[in-house]
Amino acid sequence: MLTVVSAMASADENPLHRRINQLLPTTAAPADDATFLRRVFLDLAGRIPSVTEAKQFLNDTSPERRKQLIDRLLDSRDYPRRMQEAFHIMLLERRGDHQEWSRFLRDSFEQNRPWDEMVRLLLKPAADDESARGAAWFQTSRLVKEGAMADVDVPGLTRDVGRLLAGVDLGCAQCHDDLVISDYLQQDFQGLQMVFENVVVRTDVGFPAVGEKLLTAPRAFSSVFEQIPRQTAIRVPGAAEVALQTFAEGEEYTVPPDRKSKFPGEPKFSPLQQVAEHLTARENRLFAANLVNRVWFLMLGKGLVWPLDMHHSGNPSQHPQLHDLLGQEFTAHDFDLKWLLREIALTDVYQSDSTPSDPSVPVSVADLSEKRISAESLFWSVLIALEQLDPSDTERSLEQQLAESQPLQELQKQFLKVFANAPKEPELLFEPTVAAALFVMHDEQVLGLLDAESSPLPGRLSQLEDAAEVVQQASLQIYSRPATEVETAELVELLQTAAADQRSETISQLIWAMLASTEFCVNH
Amino acid sequence: MNGCGGSEHQFSRRQILGSMAAGTAAGGFGSLLQHAAADELQQANDKQVLLIWLDGGMSQLESWDPKPGTHYGGPYRSIPTSLPGIHVSELMPQLAQRMDRLAVVRSMKTEDPNHSSGVPKILRGHPRDRGVVYPYFGAATAHLLGPTPSRLPPYVWVKPGNGGFISSHAGFLGPKYGALALGGGKPPQNLQRPAAISDELDELRHRLRERFNQRYAAGRRPQVSEAGSHVYDLAQTLMKNVDLFDVDTLPAVERDRYGRHELGQHTLLARRLLEAGVRFVQVTSYGWDTHGDNFNAHATRVPRVDQAVSALLDDLQDRGLMERILVVVMAEFGRTPRINGSVGRDHWPNAWSLAMAGCGIRPGVVLGETLADGTDVNSEAWDIGALFHTWYTALGINSQEAEFMNGTQPLPIAHDDMQPIPELLA
Repeated sequence: MLTVVSAMASADENPLHRRINQLLPTTAAPADDATFLRRVFLDLAGRIPSVTEAKQFLNDTSPERRKQLIDRLLDSRDYPRRMQEAFHIMLLERRGDHQEWSRFLRDSFEQNRPWDEMVRLLLKPAADDESARGAAWFQTSRLVKEGAMADVDVPGLTRDVGRLLAGVDLGCAQCHDDLVISDYLQQDFQGLQMVFENVVVRTDVGFPAVGEKLLTAPRAFSSVFEQIPRQTAIRVPGAAEVALQTFAEGEEYTVPPDRKSKFPGEPKFSPLQQVAEHLTARENRLFAANLVNRVWFLMLGKGLVWPLDMHHSGNPSQHPQLHDLLGQEFTAHDFDLKWLLREIALTDVYQSDSTPSDPSVPVSVADLSEKRISAESLFWSVLIALEQLDPSDTERSLEQQLAESQPLQELQKQFLKVFANAPKEPELLFEPTVAAALFVMHDEQVLGLLDAESSPLPGRLSQLEDAAEVVQQASLQIYSRPATEVETAELVELLQTAAADQRSETISQLIWAMLASTEFCVNH
Repeated sequence: MNGCGGSEHQFSRRQILGSMAAGTAAGGFGSLLQHAAADELQQANDKQVLLIWLDGGMSQLESWDPKPGTHYGGPYRSIPTSLPGIHVSELMPQLAQRMDRLAVVRSMKTEDPNHSSGVPKILRGHPRDRGVVYPYFGAATAHLLGPTPSRLPPYVWVKPGNGGFISSHAGFLGPKYGALALGGGKPPQNLQRPAAISDELDELRHRLRERFNQRYAAGRRPQVSEAGSHVYDLAQTLMKNVDLFDVDTLPAVERDRYGRHELGQHTLLARRLLEAGVRFVQVTSYGWDTHGDNFNAHATRVPRVDQAVSALLDDLQDRGLMERILVVVMAEFGRTPRINGSVGRDHWPNAWSLAMAGCGIRPGVVLGETLADGTDVNSEAWDIGALFHTWYTALGINSQEAEFMNGTQPLPIAHDDMQPIPELLA
């Protein structure tokens, strides 16, 4: 306990972001205010700033303005929505959504639920807590039959628990010790899988929920290479083996099963509870190491360990000292996600320019990489850029505004379909597709948003007589930055040489080209 | 999910090929030099592939390796072929006349009797397990040889049902190498430009987009910017070739020759795509999993393969394309000699057949044999890995030296314990 207290004390005097700066001197120049503004909005609010928000920040001369913006965004109503979207993509990998799951995520980020508590709810869902019970969707969405001949993919769930919550992909250790990675052993996979094989999806309630059968015997298994019988009790990534507890017949349950209502019963010994506790224990380094790596990836565009789910001794962290520091401090701060995001946002590397000093040198740990923007964030950003939605509306959130427009909801569906990955595919790097390009080029509804007669932004810009003003406003509206002199000169010439009856069409195409450009579609 | 490596991997194709061409490891050259070398090599290689995939598993006994009059032989006779002494099932009379242009392997022996795992294993060439997800044949070839100068997408998959962009075929190579799937042989969605956008406006908006992209790209590493522009280039190339996807515009006589059934029309579409410059086309025919009523099902289905593949072989020969187009006809396994209680045949990876023709393949070869009752291989058995070596070699790729890069991890392109089969190579 004493060590934790002293770590906290030193953190207050020397906050984490300063210690990161000492460990990680950046070579890149600091990002200018406009670049930082767009980046931090996309990362913490899941959208670009409105013009009002952009002007407010860009006209602010306070030396504390970046810090103040970070705090404003972390306290905004956008923050829980953004984190819900980001963690939904990370944890469900596009397996589909459920309103109870959304509620769990939203509530968790609204109240800044600590990460260890969130994970305990994912692993041992609390059916009697109405706002948190949807966490069971993490398991139930995976415990489904896909096709008449296919078994429920329990190994897939086992693997995902390791990958997503501990950063270890034990997939290859299902049938034998991993042939390449000496840390990944078959007993670890089997000792975790036995827990999930014991899980039943509850059918006695109308919300996602799981129950457990009695687990009384160790897991017997053998490698496909050497048919030697072996066995294991419960194994949790990063923790020691957990012995099974058995009870006399008739005394196994705290609440016995009920056949009539199909309630599966509540065993006294819950393997899910064991996994939940041992995985999230403070001494389990993998637990914190995985999450800080994933948040680092979210903010900086690359993992300290890469691939994100390949933590093992043969694939060390790019910066072990930094990685350890992040893990220790995250643990010492009781797995506080908002605190972690804030500290990373305050670092020099987060606030550096993503244009490298030498483009021929590969990305290093001290660089900020260009990042993929999620389909959700891109959708909100396009509609904000086009003034279809107003994030500054104090009465109605973006989602409430969207709920009032059937056509925009339809557009959202199409948008997510073409910009999101297929189910079960992690969304990591910027991977544009031809499908999305064709959608942006030709979809009637997308093009309708650029119609000067019916849409606010093209309508407004085409009324402006001063061509330079059109360019400046378009740039601030879409790129969240002032147009450069060269850009302004080129585009003013374009607008001035356009025939009078082509001017508003030209402005529409200018807006389209900015939205379709790489600068808009990546977070840089 | 795949264990794919760093962000550099997506564009590693050029680097790998660049280094192959120069005979040295990538990294010693500036990126511009690598690009130039890779493009030259890819353009110099004009080889293409058509894979006809009979999903579910065609019976070798009702096609390439009949056993008439034996315990498990089934009701069909065998017929002589253009190769003296070689017989095939009477269900493929046209291919029988073209056996001298084909190479058939009758001694395939693979591991996996399940569709769900067997299909990806065969389509990946079942390399040694290294805990990474290998690309399918199409994605791998697209990666190794790149698009042809047509700039059409290098890997197109013609299939019944839904289309789309199927990134899962690419494995660790990354989604860029996935398949453009033409569901029901139809073009991709949103390919038609709405009338409201005139040619002039379209030209203007793309010119502006490219100008913005150039400015953004200045001083940055090229990966992200290239990818951002690449998909729009590809989209525009597809639009220019919109007629390609419509076999309805072809003369009726040509359509009849391939057969007025899905496989026939899709094979015809594949020929057009290859002629237009797609590097790798896969045509999939579903419904071969004949656990029940095997013989009626094959009586309907095998003649469709016979008709479509024969028409294709004739067209490739007439057009002088046999030298550069590799044609492969296969499935994830064959079917059991034993006939089950539902007059069906079950999954049989233990002894099955596949066929190939064209580019680099020695014509008129029948390799290997099975026991008299067809239950096992009675000669040297071949795994799919050896076939991948053979096909890559036929395509002018050194299958024992070329490597994929999974991030920083070099990986062999085909099973490292296996080699090309010399008997199959011209």
